[in-house]
Amino acid sequence: MNDADVPADATDRVLLQRMSTGDRTALATLYRSYHGRLCRFLSRLTRRPDIIEEVINDCFWIAWQKAGDFRGDSRVSTWIMGIAYRCGLKALRQHGEEAVEDSIPEDRTPADDPDEDRELRDWLSKGLERLSTDQRIVVELVYGEGHTLDDVATIMQCPVGTVKARLFHARVKLRNVLPALAEGSITVKERNDQVP
Amino acid sequence: MLATYFGQDCPRAWEMMPWVLQNRATKKQADWLASHLAQCEACRTEFAQQQRLQQAMSLPSEVEVDAEAGLQRLLGRLDTPAAEEPKRTRAGGWLTRALVAAILIQAIGIGALGLKMWSTDQTASYRTLSQEEPAPATSGTLRVVPDASMTLGDWNALLHSLQLQVVGGPNDVGAYTLAPVSAKSIKPNTLQQLRAARGIRLAEPVTGAP
Repeated sequence: MNDADVPADATDRVLLQRMSTGDRTALATLYRSYHGRLCRFLSRLTRRPDIIEEVINDCFWIAWQKAGDFRGDSRVSTWIMGIAYRCGLKALRQHGEEAVEDSIPEDRTPADDPDEDRELRDWLSKGLERLSTDQRIVVELVYGEGHTLDDVATIMQCPVGTVKARLFHARVKLRNVLPALAEGSITVKERNDQVP
Repeated sequence: MLATYFGQDCPRAWEMMPWVLQNRATKKQADWLASHLAQCEACRTEFAQQQRLQQAMSLPSEVEVDAEAGLQRLLGRLDTPAAEEPKRTRAGGWLTRALVAAILIQAIGIGALGLKMWSTDQTASYRTLSQEEPAPATSGTLRVVPDASMTLGDWNALLHSLQLQVVGGPNDVGAYTLAPVSAKSIKPNTLQQLRAARGIRLAEPVTGAP
């Protein structure tokens, strides 16, 4: 667990405990806190905002019902992402091909998206479209959400070895398809300065 | 062109990269990776790509979903009395719906057919030419051919005395089918009395066999 994870998880546990007693303010706080990351996570499964909202609400509906059953074996974020993952897969099965859209219409992309971010998104989408759904999810959970292999295995309810294999194959594919890095990327040395 | 891996340390470096990026690696591990990257161009390229991947994955979702509107809908769902397992407003794809419709139509058809068969008389409403004419249900049924000279009065008197009644006929050869008036009126010697009576040319019991 990262040092930064500890206080965040403690806060989540308090909110969950309050939810188990019927505190809707705690539910709203947790909902707002997770909305952004769940949107991004679920956007790796579907591009439809209505389905994403539906899955997020299903996820928090379950979290509201099961808050008292949370045993604390994992971080709250791992627990919630696991629920969202299963709700997302269920929604994909129910909506079928309707859930898949190739691209986001212009009017749905964030208006304040700077050129650099747009370039990064394009670069990323070229790579992700070559991955299977499971591989995309693993990459999102590791690189986007910062989860460990154990966390990802818990979320996807599969062995750690399976997660390792998915991550490995995803990285090999990305390495083969992503275009050459632009000049001016963060250097290794700069990055190492941040490593404790 | 992609760089290739040559060194024995490259697989270890490859495996370590995501966790160094997540700041989950120890300082010793991070230092080791840094020293490896300093001398391995392929891993350096890969690590730079990993950094860019992490940066791209950390961007906010490009699909915009209104958090407050979603939260209000969720709170509204909690207030719904029948709120149970999350339900979808839309069922599965068109294929699923078509299959369900086909199964329903089949079930309705089978049900209607079964109802019709159940309500219909079990006896077949047709008879083949080789089939025997259905025998009267009452036992003691006889087939009798009266003489052409026999008067209607004698015929009626004979039937009355033997407590018989006409239940069929005359057929093509002038035979009548007689049956006892009631089950109590069956007498064992009725056939002999008929044969002995005047004006009766033929009297035979009706049996199932041809």
